[in-house]
Amino acid sequence: MDHFPTNWGRPRNDAFDPYGTYPIHQRPAVKDNFAEGVQHTQQPIVTGTSVLAIQYKDGIMMAADNLASYGSLARFKDVRRLHAVGTSTVIGASGDMSDFQAIQSILDDLVIDEFTHGDGHDLGPAEVHEYLSRVMYARRSKMNPLWNSLLVGGFRDGKRFLSYVDLLGTTYSAPSIATGYGAYIAIPLLRAAVDGKQDQLTEEAAKSILHECMRVLFYRDARSLDKYQLAIVSEAGVQISDQIQLDTTWNFAEGIRGYGAQTQ
Amino acid sequence: MFLTRSEYDRGVNTFSPEGRLFQVEYAIEAIKLGSTTVGVRTPEGVVLGVEKRVQSPLLESSSIEKIMEIDHHLGCAMSGLTADARTMIDHARVTAQNHSFTYDERIKVESVTQAVCDLALRFGESVHDEDAMMSRPFGVALLIAGIDELGPQLFHTDPSGTFVRYDAKAIGSGSEAAQSELQDKWHKQMTLQEAQILVLKVLKQVMEEKLDHHNVQLAQVTPTVGFEILDEVRLKEIIDLM
Amino acid sequence: MPDGSFAHPQQRQFNPYSDNGGTILAIAGADFTVIAGDTRQSEGYSIQTRYAPKVFRLTDRAVLAVNGFAADGNMFVKKVKQRLEWYRHAHAKDMPLRAIARLIQTMLYAQRFFPYYVYNILGGIEEDGTGAVYSFDPVGSYEREACRAAGAAQSLVQPFLDNQIYFKNQKAAPGTTHPAHLPLSDVLSIVIDSFTSATERHIEVGDGLEIYVVVAQGRSPQGLDAFRGAQELSTQPNGDRMFIIRRELKKD
Repeated sequence: MDHFPTNWGRPRNDAFDPYGTYPIHQRPAVKDNFAEGVQHTQQPIVTGTSVLAIQYKDGIMMAADNLASYGSLARFKDVRRLHAVGTSTVIGASGDMSDFQAIQSILDDLVIDEFTHGDGHDLGPAEVHEYLSRVMYARRSKMNPLWNSLLVGGFRDGKRFLSYVDLLGTTYSAPSIATGYGAYIAIPLLRAAVDGKQDQLTEEAAKSILHECMRVLFYRDARSLDKYQLAIVSEAGVQISDQIQLDTTWNFAEGIRGYGAQTQ
Repeated sequence: MFLTRSEYDRGVNTFSPEGRLFQVEYAIEAIKLGSTTVGVRTPEGVVLGVEKRVQSPLLESSSIEKIMEIDHHLGCAMSGLTADARTMIDHARVTAQNHSFTYDERIKVESVTQAVCDLALRFGESVHDEDAMMSRPFGVALLIAGIDELGPQLFHTDPSGTFVRYDAKAIGSGSEAAQSELQDKWHKQMTLQEAQILVLKVLKQVMEEKLDHHNVQLAQVTPTVGFEILDEVRLKEIIDLM
Repeated sequence: MPDGSFAHPQQRQFNPYSDNGGTILAIAGADFTVIAGDTRQSEGYSIQTRYAPKVFRLTDRAVLAVNGFAADGNMFVKKVKQRLEWYRHAHAKDMPLRAIARLIQTMLYAQRFFPYYVYNILGGIEEDGTGAVYSFDPVGSYEREACRAAGAAQSLVQPFLDNQIYFKNQKAAPGTTHPAHLPLSDVLSIVIDSFTSATERHIEVGDGLEIYVVVAQGRSPQGLDAFRGAQELSTQPNGDRMFIIRRELKKD
């Protein structure tokens, strides 16, 4: 006899309860005859570099360039790494771009599912982040991660939201967050400019801080591009900008000695 | 009366137009054919008593088992189709062990009672691919006695899966007379010995045979010893005290 | 090999774990328990956030501190809280501290072959009104202790506690003995000193400090008044009392 009441009266194939809403004590896993042949992501292939995001007075801002690299090859130069989810959330992705596209379609399905309920509820940034962390953690626990570091930002019910989740399911929240090289290069700049001043920081100031950080990253990160997009989420909803061109000067490079091909 | 039920008393999971499940009600009837079983709660512990019907002089009366241990602090007496009780007590024991394994504490009397009652309505058709379930309701009622942080308690369960807490309860064939006797004699500050004697007196009243240490069995749950079935020597002593 | 070939076939495997630094600590008194943790979360040399709580209130008399791999830690706390709620529904009472301790063991051991990479310290008040600390390893070995530090600065803090709580390597003054339990004010001072010191000497410790204090029913939280900004979290007027004290730690 099965002594675990939570298993009683339930089919032994969890096709009937795909979300595992109930405690499972002894339910056998569904056996997939082709499981051996399915490959898991072992390394990222086509990748996006840093995503930056900060809180400011009226909401949050997020920036990511438009490059998807194939190793050191700048493979796709018109890729959108910022993605709106519902009406009050934006996510930004670094890491594997095909995994990110899978995430986009999972979240789009989720939003549609939620909409078709027609119950007046829709998902805010906190809910999207919670869901995404569950997905990311579940995938890492199956040793089949979605190879991304993601930022989730939004504004809802008068509150801003900004959090991080990555391929391990690690999460955290802070006034300024950056993924990839941004965590080394942009974070010191962002923390100095933002942390503790989120409530005073104007939209213009926030924009220019991010712009400056994107420029620094373009100078220093070999896998970055001088073309990026900016997402602003505030009371007004999600706005993702057109592509912004960074202006850079390289004439100083001529004076640099010690690297490269100079002969003297 | 029984004739009018004929269309709705077959399927175990078909309600009658009046909203009754006849098979469950019949199961409750089955208990009234069982031997009388009595439980009495006192501040010092809980006493359980059963009548053992010794139908033949060749029958080994000690082989009749109507009181069983669930855990150190839990005991159980039954009336009705006693074979059905094995499934329930097996489940109660596993549940109690599982609780102490997981939580390093003794399961509450009410919780183990609830666990047993969760089984009661698991009859009927099973879903495709699922383990076969029971084909009919249990035909047995239990008196579950035990002690936990809320003190000594006595619970009664029936085949419908309903459970109720009692100060004193009789089930089985002589239960009506026995219950009214308990109602008269039970009082709040009873000692354990008074309860033992009350149980025997009540059993004696409803038994056809003359009561002796072969045709009754007593058990008790106390804070110090936990569950114990009283051996013939101690039983005799109490019978002599009556 | 220098030519780029491999002498042996190599396999790179995804590593599902990380270490997010930080330190936790708990000390049991006669009728109170103090459970504390810093709030920095880091990975490698990067500070991810200066505020990620590692100490969680479970019931009116139980607090759990979780340290190690943050994703596992958060998931574990979530699951423990879920089990506590199921228990409350099934048994109509809050789970006692020692039952929570055993539950945590079974939950950790259930993941024996894919462990939660977390060190747990459970603190609170037992059924008999005494302060208690339970410490766990990632696969569920546990014991009740008077004090325990875990995490990045365990090796810095535990010897200090051994000396200050267990009086190891200390001789009592002639004609006196070491006290079995310290008063709350002493314990709080030791906790704060432990964390300021760990912050000085360990790069993964700092930013903020959260100290939970659980005081047994009917006992006065004497010594707490000296600590500014203690915020009461108790839900029952006459039950055990719970407080939280927050302090800044150095951020460098």
